[in-house]
Amino acid sequence: GNRELVLFYSQIGVDVKKNVIVTISSDKGLCQDEQGYVQVGFCLLISKVCSDLNSGPDKEIKYVILGEKAKAQLIRDSRKDIELSITDLQKNPLNYTQVSVLADDILKNVEFDALRIIFNKFQSVVSFLPTMATILSPEVIEREAESGGKPGDLDSYEVEGGETKAEVLQNLSEFQFSCVMFNAVLEHACSEQGARMSAMDSSSRNAGDMLDRLTLTYNRTRQAAITTELIEIISGASALTG
Amino acid sequence: MVIIPATTGQMGVLLGHVATIAELKPGVLSIHDGNDVSKYFVSSGFAFIHANSFADIVVVEAVPLDQIDASQVQKGLAEFNQMLSSASTDLEKAEAQIGVDVHSALNFALSG
Repeated sequence: GNRELVLFYSQIGVDVKKNVIVTISSDKGLCQDEQGYVQVGFCLLISKVCSDLNSGPDKEIKYVILGEKAKAQLIRDSRKDIELSITDLQKNPLNYTQVSVLADDILKNVEFDALRIIFNKFQSVVSFLPTMATILSPEVIEREAESGGKPGDLDSYEVEGGETKAEVLQNLSEFQFSCVMFNAVLEHACSEQGARMSAMDSSSRNAGDMLDRLTLTYNRTRQAAITTELIEIISGASALTG
Repeated sequence: MVIIPATTGQMGVLLGHVATIAELKPGVLSIHDGNDVSKYFVSSGFAFIHANSFADIVVVEAVPLDQIDASQVQKGLAEFNQMLSSASTDLEKAEAQIGVDVHSALNFALSG
């Protein structure tokens, strides 16, 4: 099923007025604080790039923040642009129900032309790619479809169900948002676990190295102390006899 | 061939079906592969039938029919019917109605 992703996933080039950026991050740090910041740093880089792309008269950017780490960073420069911030997501294991409630909340409370979800896509245990997924609001899709943009492909599909085509497309757009959010949250959790694993691994290795070095120092110091005592004793003894 | 539970009714999809986006309601999805038939009960979702005869069916949950417990279905149906009759606000009515619809579909799926 990559076809539907192709239909909707990559509308980055579409020009819209109101962009809402949904940033996904974690609540707790990893075992080494730098790892945590590196991860968030990438995401923020994307956010800033996004802001530049979209700045101009009439264009608005708002943030919806999932997770403590992003909140701490974004609150410093863009406090007034933060619409919604949600934390403590990781108390329960990830499930679709929780994400769909979140998606519902966002759809109800935030006005948008385009939603840009930013997350870390898992590539391997040591590498993740900051990615942006775009969801367009139904009005924008209609507009683009009429002007012959990529969403124009939508017209070639018959629509079954609901009273009108617009109603089904609205439902579809909301469903798509929650599905893409779910995907994003899962990928992000995976990347986080990967980063945590490599952070733990390097700490264990560092601890091992430190242990080796300290053992050597300990032995050397112990031997030096013994040698000193021996020398003192022997010199004392030879002073007595000689 | 695949039979999907669209909101407009059961829809059969064969090779060369016209490209469609269908909204699904809770019901039975049956996949006919030659003489093998596999049936799943799906909660709602969407089905995309592409022009190249590929179909993507996206639902929130899908359960093979033989994993559904009939007695639980009956209990659920009775419970939601009761909630529907005692519901006061529109929201409660809507929620109870959804419960009744899903359980009736489940019941129908198990018997049919």
